[in-house]
Amino acid sequence: FILMLSLTLGTMITITSNHWVTAWAGLEINTLAVIPLISKSHHPRAIEAATKYFLTQATASALMLFSSMTNAWSSGQWDITQLTNPPSCLLLTAAIAIKLGLTPFHFWFPEVLQGSSLTTALLLSTAMKFPPTTILLLTSHSLNPTLLSTMAIMSIALGGWMGLNQTQTRKILAFSSISHLGWMTIIITYNPKLTLLTFYLYSLMTTSIFLSMNSTNTLKLSTLMTSWTKAPMLNTTLMLTLLSLAGLPPLTGFLPKWLIIQELTKQEMTTTATTISMLSLLGLFFYLRLTYCSTITLPPNSSNKMKQWSIKKPVNTLTPTL
Amino acid sequence: MSLIHLSFYSAFTLSSLGLAFHRTHLISALLCLESIILSIYIGLSLWPVQNQATSFTLLPVLILAFSACEAGTGLAILVASTRTHGSDHLHNLNLLQC
Repeated sequence: FILMLSLTLGTMITITSNHWVTAWAGLEINTLAVIPLISKSHHPRAIEAATKYFLTQATASALMLFSSMTNAWSSGQWDITQLTNPPSCLLLTAAIAIKLGLTPFHFWFPEVLQGSSLTTALLLSTAMKFPPTTILLLTSHSLNPTLLSTMAIMSIALGGWMGLNQTQTRKILAFSSISHLGWMTIIITYNPKLTLLTFYLYSLMTTSIFLSMNSTNTLKLSTLMTSWTKAPMLNTTLMLTLLSLAGLPPLTGFLPKWLIIQELTKQEMTTTATTISMLSLLGLFFYLRLTYCSTITLPPNSSNKMKQWSIKKPVNTLTPTL
Repeated sequence: MSLIHLSFYSAFTLSSLGLAFHRTHLISALLCLESIILSIYIGLSLWPVQNQATSFTLLPVLILAFSACEAGTGLAILVASTRTHGSDHLHNLNLLQC
């Protein structure tokens, strides 16, 4: 499947680049390969999602190229790890924030995830976030920590708040993605390895959630309520994975949060650590609502979507236990 | 040389403002995107001329190739949205409200 190959190619090009133009080229290849994937179903919502995705990602790529150009004019070299011009750093931070979906540039993300199919949404929220995070990691020593922390705290806050009123599961997962990106960004200037750890664990958990939802085809909360009849084992593991995403202690999702808070207190940023812990309680509410709907209660609900599932689930019952 | 630099910055800023404030048609957004890439291209083409280093002349060509692909994708998306939504007015793109 050629689009998957081009996605892998683009990601590899960006990750292994030390010149700005190769990084930009890899990101462009990724964008171009993912647009047909989003708009494959020719539904009006899918086309609209593709439009919004294309516009945002294209502006972000152009901004990144411009920031690298001004940096090259002022310092004479195109190395990624040596960003010396302060306006270039600012523009680059803004460009990567647009690409990742950090606040205040997050507005495209829930709508794009809502308009794409579940597997494409999975791809968008895990694999497409990886190259911009690697660029952030490579340049993290020269970026402005105050700006990054402000954007991260706002992301966690907004991801929690705006996810409270949602009934569509893809939008809920979009907001959870935004708040997890906030957690990843807040530690990037102090300890970039924790950012990578958070990213890996987050993509693992999100993959298992998306694939579980794909097997039972739950696009709304009401469908989630009747999913226990179709695959009871999948439902219990879905509950555990959701709680792990929320960050509850005995599950794996607690580990990155714990390490991040520890690192923040070592850097004398205890108010930041308290603020983000409080704000992730908002996310906990809608994760708990999802688990409540899926596993804890078994009510007789009116919308009974008995749809056949595809046989992907046996692989997935093991991943949430990681 | 800072007059030339100033003209590129202003070209880029004007185009990005045009992209941010497009009001009725999607085509204007695509046009502004193209002008952004064009200003970056012309700016980059001056780099080997100023430094007298001919090994950097490949860069604008690469950028042009990728941006042409992207412009084509943008136009294809424009056509697709006109097929499904009826026109390219931006206030028609409201199927995915929060």
